[in-house]
Amino acid sequence: MPLAAQALLPFLALLGAAVIVQRRPRRASNGWISVAATGLAGITAMVELVRLAPGEHVDVPYLTTFPYADLAIRLDGLSLAFASVTLITAALLMLARLRLHGDRRDPWLGWLLTAAATCAVIFAHNLLLVYIALQLLTLAWTGALDETARRRRGLRLSVQVADIGLLLAAASAIQSVGTSGFSGVPSDTFALPAFVFVLLPVVARVAALAVTAGGPQATVAFEPAIVWVAPAGYLLMRMLALMGGRLPDRPTAVVLFAAATLVALAMAALALLERSAARRVALLLVAHAALALALSTGADPLMTVACTWLWLLLVPLAGLASVRVAAGSLPEAFTQVNLAMIPGSTAFVGLWLGSLALNARGLLFGVIPVGVGVALSATAALSRLKRPRSLRLDPPTVWAAGLLLIAAFPIVVMGRLVVPAAATVRLVPGGTVAANPIGIVAGGRFFPALVVSLVMALALGFAAWRLRLKAPTLPFPKEGVKINTPTLPALPRVPPWGRFVLWGAFAVAVYNVLTRP
Amino acid sequence: MILYLPAALFVVSLLMAYGSAGRRRQAATVGTLAAAAWSLALLVDPGSVAWAIGPIGAALLLTRPGKRVNSSFEGLTRRVATIAVALLVALLLASRLPVGENPLLLSAVPWFLGALGAAWFASPIDQPERLQGQVLMVAAAAAVILAAVPAGPVTASLAGAMALMPIAGEHWRLPGPLQLPVSLTMLGLAAVAVVLAGVGTSIARVVLFDFSVDVGGAILLASAVLLVAGAALTPIGSEWTALLGVLVVSASAPSLRWAALAALIAVATVLAKEGEQLAWIAFGVLGLAPVLQGVATSTSTSTVRAQAVALALGLVLIVLASRVGVIRVLVLPSAGFVVMLALTTVTSPNLVRLQWITAMGAVLLVARMVLVWLIDRSGRPAIVRDQLLFALLLLAISARDALGLGALAAALLLIDLAIVRIEVMPERWAGTAARLVLLARSNWPPAVTFAGASMAVIAALQASLALGMLAALLLAGLQLAPLLDGHALAPSPQRPRSPLGWVVPAVSIACGVAPALLLRMLRF
Repeated sequence: MPLAAQALLPFLALLGAAVIVQRRPRRASNGWISVAATGLAGITAMVELVRLAPGEHVDVPYLTTFPYADLAIRLDGLSLAFASVTLITAALLMLARLRLHGDRRDPWLGWLLTAAATCAVIFAHNLLLVYIALQLLTLAWTGALDETARRRRGLRLSVQVADIGLLLAAASAIQSVGTSGFSGVPSDTFALPAFVFVLLPVVARVAALAVTAGGPQATVAFEPAIVWVAPAGYLLMRMLALMGGRLPDRPTAVVLFAAATLVALAMAALALLERSAARRVALLLVAHAALALALSTGADPLMTVACTWLWLLLVPLAGLASVRVAAGSLPEAFTQVNLAMIPGSTAFVGLWLGSLALNARGLLFGVIPVGVGVALSATAALSRLKRPRSLRLDPPTVWAAGLLLIAAFPIVVMGRLVVPAAATVRLVPGGTVAANPIGIVAGGRFFPALVVSLVMALALGFAAWRLRLKAPTLPFPKEGVKINTPTLPALPRVPPWGRFVLWGAFAVAVYNVLTRP
Repeated sequence: MILYLPAALFVVSLLMAYGSAGRRRQAATVGTLAAAAWSLALLVDPGSVAWAIGPIGAALLLTRPGKRVNSSFEGLTRRVATIAVALLVALLLASRLPVGENPLLLSAVPWFLGALGAAWFASPIDQPERLQGQVLMVAAAAAVILAAVPAGPVTASLAGAMALMPIAGEHWRLPGPLQLPVSLTMLGLAAVAVVLAGVGTSIARVVLFDFSVDVGGAILLASAVLLVAGAALTPIGSEWTALLGVLVVSASAPSLRWAALAALIAVATVLAKEGEQLAWIAFGVLGLAPVLQGVATSTSTSTVRAQAVALALGLVLIVLASRVGVIRVLVLPSAGFVVMLALTTVTSPNLVRLQWITAMGAVLLVARMVLVWLIDRSGRPAIVRDQLLFALLLLAISARDALGLGALAAALLLIDLAIVRIEVMPERWAGTAARLVLLARSNWPPAVTFAGASMAVIAALQASLALGMLAALLLAGLQLAPLLDGHALAPSPQRPRSPLGWVVPAVSIACGVAPALLLRMLRF
């Protein structure tokens, strides 16, 4: 099959299913069609990733009339890894939704279109196309063709405005080198302002994660993983890839690291105070994302592998956390363990790699705030850990267990998913990270992931069953603490001659321009 | 001595026109036109006298009542003051923009004609005099530019014939049975123009005697836009006015081009008078550009500088005037494309000057909107989204770049403002059709608004960082504008709902999906 057709397969699967679902609404089989199509799209992306040679990238052009914005697909380790993870997560979310009852809405068309739009963001070949795909993504998840629609208006507009940053970065690239394509742009094209512009949509999406999760309770929320985390992580990693894997300068890296770590600390602290389970999960996810962002500031291969790991595995974790499960169920316990970022969780592997990288650069003190963040997250997550009352084998349980298994056997994803993605961001020399069935070796240190996972499982199990472990919780501030928001003063009425002042100022300015030599 | 006779004839005729009524006044008006023709014959060549045919015909068509209209002291004072000021300004302009080595009083006569037209238009004693003023302004525009940039007799006569258009706009409507066939023909012609522009055929210019029209890609695209706007959005029976717009963008001779633009403004303001005076001021400023080009010497930097400023200021004023009606549907795209074409000759330092003025114009647009709201909150508020799009249009036109993105953004925004954001819809729409219409008029891709605004930001950043940031702020405001406006659109210029309304969403989606094709057209 020609590459041009192969690259379109995920889109064809998703959009084909969307057409079928749209033509026969409210059929029971629509859910299965959606799951199958999304899963197929994810597997297709994964197959392409496996077939990709190390360091290889393929640009598949479809329309080349715009030299600075070709309609083309970019297939490389980063895009295929993110697409695989995102689409498989989307399929799992759909499967979970299918198996859960109590919600009579028919979300399949919207979800398929949202998955396709996210896929477009990830596969887009240039920044301008990414911007367009982000707008389509916003349109898909809100369904707000009518721009005055009240549904999630504030959030939608915030994201749309933040996305202008990406447009400015694309414009900056076009101005510098005549293209915003991912191929052929020298790594010094993007200076600090362009990076800050790209950070805007990333930060907006991470903030949206905090705002939306824990809102109106659907049985399964599609947005956190597919609309917020996946595009945010991908955008940041892609921008890093365009910049050669490093930030413009060291002060920027330090400031960003400090800011992201502080956000992680704040979110974890807030999670500790939060009573609502959904809000707590959202805050912990933001803390996780903030730590991933902090580790994205590093300029060495190990750090790149660490942040790639964190971002990639945050997508399925956010998906899992968006599935409503019964209190005291096994998947809930597994999710809390993963959110706690303790040894034995997926996040811990990434943090361990990041710590090694920081240590190698003589920045061991940088590990301290990260460690404090992890401790706070662990306290917040484990404080509400309950002993599972029943053991049912349902999709969330398998999913959560799968994540813990990945933490125990990093070899499953490290070589085929994480390292190819990281190698797209920057050169990862062979031997930087070596995975084996019982652990990983990086920077000359061995991390016995399997042993750590087993020990933690035993420890937590023992604590929960025998000691009825209950971590200390802080009281939530009592009601009555109201923040008095100052009311805006009424806008003054301007006298009618005000317009003459305006026109006069304009006339003076034009005169100055005319007479300026 | 003979060189002063046209001026003497003009002054005598002017006095007669102000002091008489009926046939005598008509004769006096013809006398002013004859004086201008005489002046042209002496300034340029005798062939230019052909210019006078149209204006004299128009003056003869506009009959005056035999009895003088009673006027008050205030009215009389205002009329006298207006003509005095207008003549002084005309004299000043004639002295600052001399044609060759000719005496001032000879070269000032066409300017005087314009002053007389402006005075009658600004302080008319009755409606026919107002129309006569428009006729004289159109004729004077042609005469002044003919004096600065000479043309052959055919072109001169056509430029003069534009003076008939205000009368045609006032009195002539397409007969009912012809309206639909004419609209469909215009749409067909637009399609042909688009195909020709897209294919990139190498017809540079079509020549008939000394009259010639350009048919480059950008001009074909502009013509297509104007034809679609004329067919689908002009008041019923006035579809033919789009042809004036086509003449504006395609005529090679500046005299014909600018006279046609003046005629278009006159015709456009027949039904909707909002922004009329500003549109004429804008035309006056824009019209200075070809005159400055004609009289410029190779060493005169100030003239070139003034030319850039005139283009920018005229553009800002025409945008400010184009809020509703045919001014927006036809005059705005015509003037916009003409300025875009004129920008190709502007040097880089003067382009920066132009960009400064358009940026200030963009700020002025937004500031004026806010100020008007702060002054009178009970009045009808301006449509925020339109004002922001106008501001982006200014930035896009001024952002001339090597990649052609500024031109592309400007073309997309002109299509959006002139065709898409006008309230013309088929009677009933629901379901998929409703969603299509909603999408076509939204900021979402693939609507033309999204494409135009995004391109404008990119193009503005190519020009300068300040312009880019201003454009980005405007785009951010554009995303928020639906909160303030709802679904508000500019009102339709007196047109019943018809299936032709479907052209609008189709054009929006087509342009939004394939902006690359438009860029291709603009490059040929």
